[in-house]
Amino acid sequence: MRLFIIEHAQNAYYSLKSTKMRTILTTLGVAIGVASITAILSLGSGITQIVSRQVEALGGNIAVVRPGVPSDDKQSLVNPTLEQGYTLSTLTEKDLSDIEDIKGVDAAAPIMLTAGSIKSSSATVQKNTILATTPALMDIANLPIRDGQFIDSVTNKDTAVIGNQLSVDLFGTDQSIGQTFKLRGQTFTVIGVLKSIHDPINFNNIDFDTTAIISLESGKSFHQGIAQIQQIDIRAKNASDLAKVMQEVDARLTKNHLGEKDFSTLTGEEISRPTSRFFSSLISIMTIIASISLIVGGVGIMNIMLVGVAERTREIGLRKSVGASNSNIVWQFLVESLIISLLGGVFGYIGGYILAFIISTFLTFIPAFTWEIAAAAFGTSLGVGILFGIYPALRAARKDPIESLRHYH
Amino acid sequence: MSKKKLTPVIELRGLTKRYGVGDAQHNALDNIDLTIEKGEFITIMGPSGCGKTTLLNILGLLDRSNEGEYFLDGTSIERFSGARHARIRSRQIGIVFQHFNLINRLNVIENVALPLTYNGMFRTKRLKQASSVLKNFHLSEREYYMPWQLSGGQMQRVAIARALVNNPSIILADEPTGNLDSKASHVIMEELSDIHKRGNTIIMVTHNPDLTTYASRVIHMLDGRVASDTKIPVEPKKSAEKIPLGMHHKEEKNKKPAKKRKTTKAKKK
Repeated sequence: MRLFIIEHAQNAYYSLKSTKMRTILTTLGVAIGVASITAILSLGSGITQIVSRQVEALGGNIAVVRPGVPSDDKQSLVNPTLEQGYTLSTLTEKDLSDIEDIKGVDAAAPIMLTAGSIKSSSATVQKNTILATTPALMDIANLPIRDGQFIDSVTNKDTAVIGNQLSVDLFGTDQSIGQTFKLRGQTFTVIGVLKSIHDPINFNNIDFDTTAIISLESGKSFHQGIAQIQQIDIRAKNASDLAKVMQEVDARLTKNHLGEKDFSTLTGEEISRPTSRFFSSLISIMTIIASISLIVGGVGIMNIMLVGVAERTREIGLRKSVGASNSNIVWQFLVESLIISLLGGVFGYIGGYILAFIISTFLTFIPAFTWEIAAAAFGTSLGVGILFGIYPALRAARKDPIESLRHYH
Repeated sequence: MSKKKLTPVIELRGLTKRYGVGDAQHNALDNIDLTIEKGEFITIMGPSGCGKTTLLNILGLLDRSNEGEYFLDGTSIERFSGARHARIRSRQIGIVFQHFNLINRLNVIENVALPLTYNGMFRTKRLKQASSVLKNFHLSEREYYMPWQLSGGQMQRVAIARALVNNPSIILADEPTGNLDSKASHVIMEELSDIHKRGNTIIMVTHNPDLTTYASRVIHMLDGRVASDTKIPVEPKKSAEKIPLGMHHKEEKNKKPAKKRKTTKAKKK
């Protein structure tokens, strides 16, 4: 058997070489299909990997608490922020202070997002995020300060730290320390400007470049003194203690919420779960659409193989008359179509990554390399080769040797 | 040669092949009994449609009969599977066609080595064996030519070399000179006759009555039956010292007769 595979591969090489143009075009058909799948999958897993990579980069000791219980219904697919966006958060300031009290917890910070347009003397910015939090966030999320300082316990209530892009949008410059802006009629003074991060996808789901960070007190003042906490970021002292710490967090909050588990504690990859689920379903849909082009490539293979079988009818007859069995003939043609499709797979895989990297220059993330994508590219091209090569191969094998030898070109 | 006449190479009993259905049905072969001994050179003659090609196809296992039995080397092979037939074709039968049927993509030596592929032989060994057969046909210098670079006569010699390469029990030739001019035909017939003298069994279908002079037995067919079967006495030549072609890879010392042939050939030219 091994011999035959080598034999057929050699044979296929010569016959494909003799019809070079045809082979290249057919290979191209498969390559385009595989390339589009590879590009989509690599960019897709590039997105979903971002968050878990961030958490890892921060030391792997980050966990978050979010209100609501993760659900698997389809509603949460199209609206991953359902729990945070439209329902009243169940997390309270007491939860926050209780978490801070737990022994293994190094720091905890609330994420309270509110809306509102920010007005400076020269501009009004509406597409922005207003984040009310505590000084601990800077350390947990590793926010880089460009100028000035982050909010801390001694700074005035009406001070703010703004993102680089927001600074430019508001004041036309990224040197805006001491400038003031108005938010819901209240005046805030800029005491710090963040460095440009270019990272809108992170475990806080906040684009810090366009965010104004104010103290939790100021945030509460817009909500009749009640903290609307959408997320609590927790950093454990040791990454190894994280699981134990989170158990403790779970126990305390359940007690605080009178035994109702209306929140979820997330660590590691789970943090990006709502995002990943949304993207992965989007990506699967895109992949399915992209595989249509792979089917087109497969039809190309079948077409060219049928032509090849018809052209080589005499050869088939001859091979049979000198001792080739039907399965020999099947393998001969199947190996040929497999070579086309696997070549297409290899070129498509490479081409797909080139495409993905070109696309990623316009995006904030890079395509990911995983063995799953390589396996998908290899597997689909193999599948296409078999699926679309088997019929021509069987047709070749079923040819009657006498008829075939009578066949003229 | 001592073991000859122990079992006939081919034995046919009541072989019948029908084509068509209903009123259109006719017997291409009608109850044929035939015994072919080892070392015979048989020409099958007859008008078009008498069933001689059908007979050859059945002998070559390219076709199956409807009735009757076919013993090849003493084994009944009628009821074997297609894969088993393929194996027998690759090991015991060599076929020479009117249209040569060389694969244009492959060079001469690879064409000759082709049947060995299906014996499961490795490439190097295959090419070596093909090369030694080609030597007997004075085609050593043409080993790496492509088929279209050869003359018709040369192509047919390559095809005969291919038929011999796996040392078959029988060689079937369907009008091997049908596509050649008389000079090339003569060369090919000399080759076949030489192979025969080395002890190979040859069954040849032809239209050309002149070619029967080379044969040891002439069978005339008519309407699917054997009309006449004439044995021509063979002059007992020095064939004893010769070894059947195709055996050379088993016995190395057969280089001698090959050389001898070369000289006679040179004289002829």
